[in-house]
Amino acid sequence: MSGRTASFRRFAACVLAGTLTACAGGSEELTVYSGRSEELVGPLLERFNDETGINVAVRYGDTAELALLLAEEGGDTPADVFYSQSPGATGYLADADLLAGLEPDVLSQVDERFRNADGRWVGVTGRQRVLVYNSELVEEGDLPASVLDVNDPEYAGRVAVAPENGSFQDFVTALAQVEGTDVARGWLTGLAEAGAPTYANNNAIVEAVSRGEVEMGLVNHYYNYRFLEENPDAPTRNHVFAAGDLGSLVIDSTVSVTAGAADNADADALVAFLLSEESQRYFADETKEYPLAEGVEPAADVGPLDLGATPGYQADELGGGLTDTIDLIRDSGLGV
Amino acid sequence: MVSASDLLARPRDRARRARGGPRRAPGLTLAVLAIAACFAAPFAYLVARTLGLGTPALGLLGESATIAPLLRSVALGAAVAAAATVLGVACGWLVARTDLPGARSWALLFALPLVIPSYIGAFTLQAAFATGGLVATVMEPLVAVNLPRIGGFPAAFGVLTLLTYPYVFLPVVARLRQTPASLEESARLLGRGPWATFATVVLPQVRSAMLAGALLVFLYTISDFGAVQLLRYDTLTRVIYASRFDRPAWLVLSLQLGLLAVAVAAGERAAMSRDRAAGGRVAPGRGALRIHLGRVRIAALALSGGVVLFALLAPLGVLAYWATRGIAAGGSGFSGLGELVEPLRNTALVGLAAASAAALAVLPVAYHSVRHRGRLADVANALVVGGFALPGLTLALALVTLVRAAPALYQSLGVLVFAYVVHFGAQTLRTAQVGVAAMPPRVDDAARLLGASPLRRLTAVELPLLAPSVLAGAGLVLLSTMKELPATYLLAPTGFDTLATRAWGAMEQAYWAQASVFALALVTVSAVLTWVFVLRRSDALA
Repeated sequence: MSGRTASFRRFAACVLAGTLTACAGGSEELTVYSGRSEELVGPLLERFNDETGINVAVRYGDTAELALLLAEEGGDTPADVFYSQSPGATGYLADADLLAGLEPDVLSQVDERFRNADGRWVGVTGRQRVLVYNSELVEEGDLPASVLDVNDPEYAGRVAVAPENGSFQDFVTALAQVEGTDVARGWLTGLAEAGAPTYANNNAIVEAVSRGEVEMGLVNHYYNYRFLEENPDAPTRNHVFAAGDLGSLVIDSTVSVTAGAADNADADALVAFLLSEESQRYFADETKEYPLAEGVEPAADVGPLDLGATPGYQADELGGGLTDTIDLIRDSGLGV
Repeated sequence: MVSASDLLARPRDRARRARGGPRRAPGLTLAVLAIAACFAAPFAYLVARTLGLGTPALGLLGESATIAPLLRSVALGAAVAAAATVLGVACGWLVARTDLPGARSWALLFALPLVIPSYIGAFTLQAAFATGGLVATVMEPLVAVNLPRIGGFPAAFGVLTLLTYPYVFLPVVARLRQTPASLEESARLLGRGPWATFATVVLPQVRSAMLAGALLVFLYTISDFGAVQLLRYDTLTRVIYASRFDRPAWLVLSLQLGLLAVAVAAGERAAMSRDRAAGGRVAPGRGALRIHLGRVRIAALALSGGVVLFALLAPLGVLAYWATRGIAAGGSGFSGLGELVEPLRNTALVGLAAASAAALAVLPVAYHSVRHRGRLADVANALVVGGFALPGLTLALALVTLVRAAPALYQSLGVLVFAYVVHFGAQTLRTAQVGVAAMPPRVDDAARLLGASPLRRLTAVELPLLAPSVLAGAGLVLLSTMKELPATYLLAPTGFDTLATRAWGAMEQAYWAQASVFALALVTVSAVLTWVFVLRRSDALA
């Protein structure tokens, strides 16, 4: 009997301790909602804390879920800064008027294609859409030149896609807006009819390509670099579509300040820090993304990104049309 | 004094009268009302928001685009529940009733697959067994293995069965440990074989525990997103996820899933009330019968080994491979075990807090719903069970809205634990109900005759008898909480990481080694806590 009582006491102590810890949280810190994981940005935010003395509390999570949380919280969110994987989710919040305007000198560091026209968000790093392929199964010379070619009989059914992935959806949005909804619909339907293998996300595609389960797949460029870091023997390689092809779209991670933190200098300091040369260098070398602040070069193994050669598309426009895109994908039979 | 009308009354009514009807326990009724109100909160939010949308949104309910995924959810849930029941009962019987070598170790191993998050389970099993996976690679020098692509219904069915059968296993073991083996002994002495004894004596005794577990498996499966998303089986949760930026559709479909759970819970309750008399009563006693497996022992060991191999060792093996590969290559981002300390502490803290809070919170409901029966009991039961099937994201966002009004509580651990209790309370409710129903009325009657007060009867007689069932249920909540993601992400205090959130975050960005280390730590801490708080204690109580 005494043993049981002791264990109940232990339970009770835990509950009590938990409640107290929660009440003890201070509010003298900068609160960041980050859709980018701790592995990617944790070390950088620590540096920010060391250099500025500003304490940062970070809520990590899924970009889309955090955007929904911010929308639900509305004007009195505890968050000061939202760091997002994609312009789509940030655009959703900008449309809902939940984001503050950023400083002009911060905005001007980034090409206008990678920031919001009203100055509500700015791109931090770029992820390029590429075709990842298994070099043991496909010759480099046999790869498609355009993303629109993947439905040619030669490639039909051999290219995997991730219909629920945010970057894939951003690409489809761009395709619909640049080439027209009919082209986008036709392209999706072609994939579905060809029996294109579908996966849950970029990771699952690169993993399946490395196993040889599927020969090629449409993903963001940096996943393969991650794979090769941990498994240098993997036969996976990136193929960038021809210059100017929409398949080589660059999608930016974005940072924004919430409406409630419009006058918070610390929030502006963090945004400026993420675009500083130090941070941009960190992203280029550690996460293999393209630095978007002018004057910082990508990592040597990633190679330069010729902004002139990437499709002339405004990331700003990816925010709108997200639900239309999801409907388009669902109706095509690719599933969602 | 026993009156003639008492003798003529049906046994259940007689039992109720002997114990006093609802009139005589206003405290209990009030407690159940309060608890039911807590569990009703997210449903009330969903219903209110859905009604606010007007009729066009409600039209979504009848659309074929949502009906087909709903039917797939039900089909998958039913198939997984059936298979997990067979597996869970078989493993439970082997551990509790046979001389299976190392039964106590098997008991822990059989329970653990429950802690593997379904997305990690699906991803690792795919990496192990799919085309060009680890198994094929290892076997290649010996024999060409051409494994198919893993996906769709068969894969989702297999993975979810392997990860959910502990929902049946734990309650069945708790039940078997508590029921006297004397009937089985008699059956054996009268010449019945082990199978006949199992079918005619054991099965009826564990039936209620088995059904309780099967219901949990069904609810887990219909609310699962991780496995079906990765394995490409288009259930309702995937449609809900896809519609998350389309608020009306998202609300209506979430509510649809919750209502499905409530309907299933009500159906199960109706089935259980017919079945109630069949369940054997508890008579705790030591030295339960151990069937000598004899030659079947090899087959029993093979079955046990197979289950543990596929459900536990294969996922863990892949994680261990990823961890060593990445750390050896030097590009893992892994910065030492120190990084584990805080998430590990947080995980254990919320797991234990949610498990104990859930066990305590639903006990009055379990009592009331078994002893008193009636509309309040039915409603409370359905609400508690329904909470398990609401998608985690839906539940979390509902609570965000409800708690926003109280800034002091918002993003506090108290609210997070509350969310876990609402989400997982069903797991301990059903096992507690089985325990309450199995309590022999004579024990309580004897205590009453000896003049014990209601409180003393509760603490000295009833709770000790209930403890094994309640512990089994608390164990389920513990394991579920430690791997929970959406509510933890949205409701925890900012900066509060658990092993599960770290594992998922790392995996999303293809930090395989890092993700694997967190996942392995999660399984380890789950094993320790399950052993210390659940299995060891229920051994002692048996």
